[in-house]
Amino acid sequence: MASDQDLVVETVRDILAGHEPFALTAERPWDAGLWADLAEAGLTGVGLPEEAGGSGGELADAIAIARTLAAGAAAVPVAEQLLVAGPALLAAGLDLPSPEEPLTIAVEGAVTAEPVDDGDGPGRWTLTGTATDVAWAGVARHVAVLTAAPEGIEGAVLALVDTEGLATSDARNLAGEPRGSLVLGGAPAAGALLTPARAGEVRARYALARAVQLAAALERVLAWTVQYAGERQQFGRPLGKFQAIQMELAEMAGEVTAVTALVDAAVQTLGRGEDVVLAAAAAKVRAGAAVEVVARLAHQVHGAIGFTQEHKLHHLTRRCWSWRDEAGSELTWSRVLGVGLLTEGGDGLWPALTRVV
Amino acid sequence: MSSSLTLAPAPPSEAAEEVRTQVREFLAAEQAAGTFSTHVDTWLSGVDPAFSRKLGERGWLGMTWPKEYGGHERSAMERYAVTEELLAAGAPVAAHWIADRQSGPNLLRYGTEVQRQEILPRIAAGECYFVIGMSEPDSGSDLASIRTRAARNGDGDWVVNGAKIWTSNAHHSHYGIVLVRTGPPGEGPRGKHQGLTQLLVDLSLPGISINPIRILDGGHHFNEVVFEDVVVPGDMLLGEEGAGWHQVTAELAFERSGPERFLSTYPLLAEFGRRAADSGDAAQLATLGRLSARLLALRQLSLRIAAALDRGELPDIPAALVKDVGTTFEGDVVDEIRRVVEVTPSLDSPDPLDRALAEAQLHAPGYTLRGGTNEILRGIVARGLGLR
Repeated sequence: MASDQDLVVETVRDILAGHEPFALTAERPWDAGLWADLAEAGLTGVGLPEEAGGSGGELADAIAIARTLAAGAAAVPVAEQLLVAGPALLAAGLDLPSPEEPLTIAVEGAVTAEPVDDGDGPGRWTLTGTATDVAWAGVARHVAVLTAAPEGIEGAVLALVDTEGLATSDARNLAGEPRGSLVLGGAPAAGALLTPARAGEVRARYALARAVQLAAALERVLAWTVQYAGERQQFGRPLGKFQAIQMELAEMAGEVTAVTALVDAAVQTLGRGEDVVLAAAAAKVRAGAAVEVVARLAHQVHGAIGFTQEHKLHHLTRRCWSWRDEAGSELTWSRVLGVGLLTEGGDGLWPALTRVV
Repeated sequence: MSSSLTLAPAPPSEAAEEVRTQVREFLAAEQAAGTFSTHVDTWLSGVDPAFSRKLGERGWLGMTWPKEYGGHERSAMERYAVTEELLAAGAPVAAHWIADRQSGPNLLRYGTEVQRQEILPRIAAGECYFVIGMSEPDSGSDLASIRTRAARNGDGDWVVNGAKIWTSNAHHSHYGIVLVRTGPPGEGPRGKHQGLTQLLVDLSLPGISINPIRILDGGHHFNEVVFEDVVVPGDMLLGEEGAGWHQVTAELAFERSGPERFLSTYPLLAEFGRRAADSGDAAQLATLGRLSARLLALRQLSLRIAAALDRGELPDIPAALVKDVGTTFEGDVVDEIRRVVEVTPSLDSPDPLDRALAEAQLHAPGYTLRGGTNEILRGIVARGLGLR
């Protein structure tokens, strides 16, 4: 299907071709070279307006970039920057750091925000405490921290923190992507108060970003598995000729197609500027549920080679196993969706379902 | 991913949302008046000709057909909204369901002008009901192996002998579109697709007997329909002699693509929603969220098919995929709910959740069988993946 995003996808693919995915370690926790190439091409500012220092372009462009990078197991914080932290800062009226410096988002942990007058005008906050499960902690130069507003004030504070010199723990997810803590030292930072609805929207954007990545990764895992089944011969014929394998691949295709349809619809909901919390919750939960089936069957079809770091499959299956519980676990978002659909009581379930996306 | 599986997203339709509101108001009024009570799987078991006629009066049958045949020239997206609302309410839609869903579209595609003029307006009025004449006692998934045969007699009429089975609601229906063998099979693995023909059969003709088959809950919806030297007028050939396999494939795209392939057990999910709202139980709310996420994805897949139908496509492979994923979901609704709620399933229970669970459980084996088993469907999806 031709789309307006074909050009940007081609550009990202060309850059990716020069950067094979690798097993992430504490010593090499991200792909700095890939980030530099993407930044040089202006791709780390897409979807963010030019007047704010971004590269311009539509949400659809930013989504296409995040999808292409996710399918390529790219170890760079582009989804966090283009789909979550960047738009959240702009929506809160805060300045964007240079898109060439990696920016991430932090929504978990025990962080206290206090307003401060440091002589730099209004909208200055000190953040103290520990932000946990921070994607690309130790890699990102800036982090948009979302935390509860000071006692007595409803809502949340979103503040832009420079990570230079902050202590970082070395926790990583199942794929080795950095997910450590950041100890916030209380240096004054630009920040803004968000209503509970606005804060909820930031969390939903984060969940939707992971759902977008999951959809792309699951599609690629299916493609790899179909291709492998066509090439690998046993008993004198390709695996894909066995009916048992065909049933497994068809089941995978059903899951992947369902995920893509719902994630696309949730992205469109976001693009129309409608309330995206339940749409994002549904997309995240559906994508996570598909991981169970798709990753399991992909490994089953690939056999022992897929269980090794010599084969590429793990780059995506390990990410999928983590992403489904990041940006809010699958259980958390399932409850958010369940509760949200019953806002108007048990009798309101069906009308609520037809309004989500 | 392979483009034969993936369809473009459905554009939003204001017209569909308008008619959705109208159907919702109609259903609320009917329920308030006690016209019907909600049940699981009512597109199989809820036969109510008076209700079907009411839908016809409101223009909600034959919605996409040309006005000259009693249709309303509305979009597949609007029809989708109507059917979805009816199913979600567990309304009694079985009488007209097959005729409106696939027989009418089949007649529109392949019927003669006389056949269309005679029958389509009556279907759109909710007065004329159809059965599917595909499966036979010895031919289930292997549909092309059917043995019911028809031969021309000296008057040019068809003489039909054989038997069809699992014929839902034949005892309430007027016509069947019956797949028969009229010629010898050809050579090769797909040779038996040749020599098949569809006939439009009036079920009141002499020589037809309709024998009930009861399903697990004791309900009589299925039948065996036996044809003994049934003389079908020559002009009741549907489409082309020998093109039956091609026509059946098109008919199955309509049969497999609608929201009834994931909403058969929605009335149970609705009862569960009421329970979770009352209890506020965290596990129940999470289960409701998980099941709802699956349902929402299926809606998007089904809406994409409706949009494809509006573009004039006949997406048989995506339809097979949606039906596989959707009917699996229908059964999982039962399993997931009973994991987080204390239940005592019984058709006689005073508790609506127990009752809905009992209905859904006893109908469950059918979800992944009717309209093509999920194994057959996955074979079709595998073909879409380029594996066969």
